[in-house]
Amino acid sequence: MSPRAADAWRAYGWQLVRAPALAPLMHMALDETLLNALIAGERPPMLRVWEWAGPAVVLGRFQSVRNEVDPDGAARYGVDVVRRITGGGAMFIEPGNTITYSVYAPAELVAGMSAVESYAFMDQWVLDALATLGVQATYQPINDITSPGGKIGGAAQIRRGGAVLHHVTMAYDIDATKMLQVLRIGREKLSDKGTASAAKRVDPLRSQTQQSRSAIVERFIATFRDHYGLADTDASDDELAAAAALVESKYATEAWAKILP
Amino acid sequence: MHHGEYKVPGGKLIVADFNLTDGIIHDVQLSGDFFLSPEETLGRMAATLEGMTVMDSDEAIADEVRAAAGDAELIGITPEGVAQAIRRGIAGGEQ
Repeated sequence: MSPRAADAWRAYGWQLVRAPALAPLMHMALDETLLNALIAGERPPMLRVWEWAGPAVVLGRFQSVRNEVDPDGAARYGVDVVRRITGGGAMFIEPGNTITYSVYAPAELVAGMSAVESYAFMDQWVLDALATLGVQATYQPINDITSPGGKIGGAAQIRRGGAVLHHVTMAYDIDATKMLQVLRIGREKLSDKGTASAAKRVDPLRSQTQQSRSAIVERFIATFRDHYGLADTDASDDELAAAAALVESKYATEAWAKILP
Repeated sequence: MHHGEYKVPGGKLIVADFNLTDGIIHDVQLSGDFFLSPEETLGRMAATLEGMTVMDSDEAIADEVRAAAGDAELIGITPEGVAQAIRRGIAGGEQ
């Protein structure tokens, strides 16, 4: 990263937001709550690292439930099917297998950039962190994070109210057999990816780093702190209450979850 | 139902689900792993396809979708890609 780009990040007083392990619906709602807090000036720009309380399929805003989810497979494994506010693809989440984080930033940080440019820009720090773990990760446009061994994860962004939410889910480990029972992954989606098998597309961080999940998460946080500065905070009781209310009014409703059945 | 999928080269997957009656397209749902802003644009793009027919050209379908999208930001989805998903759904027959 150029010194000038790092200066742009360093101009903000970044906060790390820690929260207990949360149900998938609460994570959806807390993302929107914290984005709103940034827009309202109640919070400076933030990094949040997610801890998942249970398994989930997280659908992109524009995905169809029946085209992406096998309902029998999801029921068999007790997987919650939830929808996030950003576009992009479905993620199969198991708590110990997944690393997820959100960056909430002023849109001016990515002003003038194309979508492709802004995705890579928002994750430069995490590519640096992965490099210190021996993983030569790169961005594969539009929103995939990949390595020589295969895909590591994916990102999604939404811009609203002068702010940008950029969140990323990475595979720490993967139960490919279970994933293929829960998600419907069609051939068409894989058509220009160069591999025939969905499972082979992903090369998780566990096998690549030989590190624990928590060690990788802490390396990510330490790298962000080193690059841009970061003050430790917790999600407040008010923020968690606002998120819980948003679960009831939006994320748990059929009108949202099945907006594209 | 008719179901067509098209992966935009270098972009994302577009899925079209719809019914056909006497060659007329209706009950259209567009979905996929693309990005779109504002979000309501997708419903407008689907609604504009209601009443088009199997005789309409790919260009005509794409033109309708482009007009419905207006100045929305489309990332990984194109009007031409939507037309391809529709065309494949027609070719694939009733499912």
